[in-house]
Amino acid sequence: MKPVILKTTNLHKNFGGVKAVSDFSFEVREGEILAIIGPNGAGKTTIFNLLSKIYEPDSGTIEFDGRDITKTSQIDVARLGISRTFQNARLFTGLNVLDNVKVALDYNARYSLIEAMLMLPRRWKYEKETSRAAKECLELLNLYEYADKRPDNLPYGLQRRVEIARALVVNPKVLMLDEPAAGLNPEEVFQLMDFLREIREKYPETAILIIEHRMDLVMNICEYIYVQDFGVTIAKGEPAEIQCNPHVLKAYLGEED
Amino acid sequence: MTAYQLSLVMLACISVITVSGVFTMTSLAGMFSLGQAAYMSICAYLTFVLARYLDWPIWFTAILGLLASGLVAFIISLPALKLRRDYFALLSVGFGEMVGAIVILLGKWTNAAVGFSKIPKVNGLVWIVLGITVLIVFMVRNLKYSRFGRMAIALKTDEIAARSFGINVYRLKVKIYVIASIIAGVGGICFGLRNRVIAPDSFDWSLSAEMQILLFFGGTNSLSGSAVSAASLKVLPELLKGVKLFGMELQDFKTIIYCVLIILIINFRTKGLMGEQEFSLAPIKKLAKKLNRQHKKEIAK
Ligand SMILES: Nc1ncnc2c1ncn2[C@@H]1O[C@H](COP(=O)(O)OP(=O)(O)OP(=O)(O)O)[C@@H](O)[C@H]1O
Ligand SMILES: [Mg+2]
Repeated sequence: MKPVILKTTNLHKNFGGVKAVSDFSFEVREGEILAIIGPNGAGKTTIFNLLSKIYEPDSGTIEFDGRDITKTSQIDVARLGISRTFQNARLFTGLNVLDNVKVALDYNARYSLIEAMLMLPRRWKYEKETSRAAKECLELLNLYEYADKRPDNLPYGLQRRVEIARALVVNPKVLMLDEPAAGLNPEEVFQLMDFLREIREKYPETAILIIEHRMDLVMNICEYIYVQDFGVTIAKGEPAEIQCNPHVLKAYLGEED
Repeated sequence: MTAYQLSLVMLACISVITVSGVFTMTSLAGMFSLGQAAYMSICAYLTFVLARYLDWPIWFTAILGLLASGLVAFIISLPALKLRRDYFALLSVGFGEMVGAIVILLGKWTNAAVGFSKIPKVNGLVWIVLGITVLIVFMVRNLKYSRFGRMAIALKTDEIAARSFGINVYRLKVKIYVIASIIAGVGGICFGLRNRVIAPDSFDWSLSAEMQILLFFGGTNSLSGSAVSAASLKVLPELLKGVKLFGMELQDFKTIIYCVLIILIINFRTKGLMGEQEFSLAPIKKLAKKLNRQHKKEIAK
């Protein structure tokens, strides 16, 4: 079995009286695809926000690649290799698609403000490197033809894929996708599934965490599933087990009436 | 060219310099400030007062002035940039007023409200100012198309998303604010050299506001657009000097004209005249290629 890359123990997060996440413990292994599912307000996004350190957990610990990152800042966690997308595609509208992908690499390029302003050699060197990596990523994911388009001029399905490319270009160890299929039409959902399978092949080392409402999508591509309801994990297991778990069915049927 | 025309050229250049400074701050990083004229003031006063009383060469005191602008900007920004953007804008107004008050307090050296006029005459000033303008615009352009430009635009759109890509939002804002303030300082020195007199109210908040307006008019995210608007809108009122309409000086309508322009822009082009477009040579190149091809065809015939 592959080694554990990301692990939480007993995470808690309250917002006022709302227990958004309680006692959440889980493990992700290198290269695994894992899903967190559950009805609206179950606390799925909050888990991502805790992992990427947008929120501080009230208690519990987060371990990444053998080190405790419970107190690490959002910026440092990103730099360590935990990448994410957002529930409502948050691309940088002022930048075109290529620059959106490049900007994910930019914190790491080693040229200074002065070198940038005076166009000194190091600026050229690292700028070239960044461009090459970004283009390679876009090509790998068949998005290169949109490189100089503005994201807000693209259909939503493509925007979501660009967002995933932006998160992937840094070769993250963990990629977190928050409802990648939200707002997509059925055809786009199929394309997205193919896209995720491609990522699986092309970035085999990256562990992928997916939040999803839709059972069908999750059942098809994930290896392991955690089911959340009102902040609590009500079930976990492989897709086949989850599908016939009575608690899960209840949570979902309860939502649909 | 007559001396008057030269002075208009310099006026345009200074406007371009200061608006480029505001561009780095507002268009790239989304920081809105009404205090940038204060950095012109700090830098100009330091440069000319030190040169006068310590008898140091002006290029040297100019460097000291620029460093001081940068340092003040750095110190101010440490707490101020932790604030929400609207509070930051508010604070910048207070900062500007404070600098004006300090200049008056130090009246013994600065000659207070009367204005400080012991500014040396520099020969061929127009060329120096032109050169500096080109250099500044070049540097700001490079900044826009570098990793810093991209990261700034990213944090302007969405700070949380920017952080989740490892961008140190706060540090980048501080850096850009310092750069913007140093550029304002450059504008301040040129202003002093051109006018040969500086007074506290040469640099009050309305000048800062004017810079924002000129930037906004040319295009919220277009450096070339805002440079053109900075130059033309600044010079236009001067050209209208002496022109009379219904027996009144047209120049007195400057503020009204500015405001009408702004209202029109806000209504019809929310992102300024040029929006995010830059003037570019691409269409000219295309035309040249086309002509070239036709020419070749004709030769082939
Ligand atoms: N910043 C916040 N402040 C206050 N309450 C919050 C905040 N973020 C989330 N919550 C609350 O925490 C609970 C869990 O929200 P969360 O967004 O994590 O749910 P979710 O499972 O992602 O739901 P959805 O499927 O609708 O995206 C909700 O009750 C929500 O109102
Ligand atoms: Mg959510």
